[in-house]
Amino acid sequence: MKVCRKYKKEWPAFIGGQLPNGRTEEMAAHLKICAACRAELEETRKLISLATGFKEELEEVMATVDWESLPGKITDRVWKREERKAPAFAPSGWRSWKWQPVVAGLFLGLLLGGALTFLVLRPQKPGTLVARQEAGLSLPADLVERVDLALARRETIDYLERSQYLLLDLLQNGQPGESGLVRRDRIQQLLTEKKYLNNQLDDWRLMKARAICDQIELLFLELSQLSPELTAQELEKVREMVEEKQLLLKINLVKKELQQGEV
Amino acid sequence: MEQKNERTVDPQVEFLVDRIKNGDREAFMKLVAAYQQKVFILAYSMVRDREDALDLVQEVFLRLYEKIQSYRAGESFQAWLMQIARNLSIDFLRRRKTRKNDSLDGLDLDRADLATECEDPGRFQTGELIHRAVLALPEKQRLVFILHHFDELKYEEIADRLGIALGTVKSLHFKAVQNLRKTLAPSLGGVR
Repeated sequence: MKVCRKYKKEWPAFIGGQLPNGRTEEMAAHLKICAACRAELEETRKLISLATGFKEELEEVMATVDWESLPGKITDRVWKREERKAPAFAPSGWRSWKWQPVVAGLFLGLLLGGALTFLVLRPQKPGTLVARQEAGLSLPADLVERVDLALARRETIDYLERSQYLLLDLLQNGQPGESGLVRRDRIQQLLTEKKYLNNQLDDWRLMKARAICDQIELLFLELSQLSPELTAQELEKVREMVEEKQLLLKINLVKKELQQGEV
Repeated sequence: MEQKNERTVDPQVEFLVDRIKNGDREAFMKLVAAYQQKVFILAYSMVRDREDALDLVQEVFLRLYEKIQSYRAGESFQAWLMQIARNLSIDFLRRRKTRKNDSLDGLDLDRADLATECEDPGRFQTGELIHRAVLALPEKQRLVFILHHFDELKYEEIADRLGIALGTVKSLHFKAVQNLRKTLAPSLGGVR
């Protein structure tokens, strides 16, 4: 069949009554003389009738919907969801938005302060880093501990040597009544030194040294109670104590051990 | 000469939208009541399932409320709403297709397949036939066809609702009819 293109694009509008006045009559008159356009129109009508069938189905379905209550249901759902999103009540006072940066700053400050305090005051454990503020350096705790131990050994050896010399002076060269004041000063000095040494002797590796140092301290304390000028009887008594406890021998042994342990 | 359609702005709708922006529940309910059926027609035409279409209507208005602050006065509200409805319907069809792996869905429906299946007239009901063929149309043609034949809107109203020119609506409708005739040729008894 011959194809007529004159009104081809307008047949859907013709069926739907969407044409301007005059155009519909013009096309209706054309239909009477054009078989091709009649066929075109017929096929378009069939298609539109299918669409009408779907439209009827749609209307049937729509008739089953409760349009009265649907807006309320939808609105309820929307508002419930919004309530879940929003906080239960508006924040007021310090919780209002303008105070939040201040509160956050304070909280952060407290947090940092606490963390710094903990880092400074916490007990130091082996294997952790410790701050040596005096030196302005951070050193491994093991290294610091080894240095502390070496220093403690040196100071203990020094204390033992000076105690040994004092005892030797007293026992071998000491004359009753001689150098009493000087000796008493040396004893006082060693007693003071022992007080500072006690902290370093707390280390379990210096337990043996601590024991002998304590015995020496005890002896010096007794000597400090006596008058500077020792009598022959007092001197003999001291000598007996030193020999009984084998203090000089023990001092030598401990000194040797400490020196060997020092690397 | 075709002029771009002047978009009409309904002052009552603008008023309702303003109130909704301020959290007015009553205004929102009125807006839903005014547009729920229009949205349903579009949704049902796309998904052809009553419950799914009703779910979509709810989703459309939920989305509308979420985006209401971005709506600017003077724009075509209907065009904006229909855009939301169309997008959500397409998303729904994609999800359904993925879920069911359903080759019946028409978004990428092959016309030849449909024509072959239509050779057995008893296989599909009329509604199913036209629904699938309409879904196979390009998006704009599909929308114009749905609004014109299922929502019974005139060309001017479609232009207003979609925010496009009147001439474009006419052209899209003509193309939609031509494509449907080709797709449904076996059922229509003619060959194009």
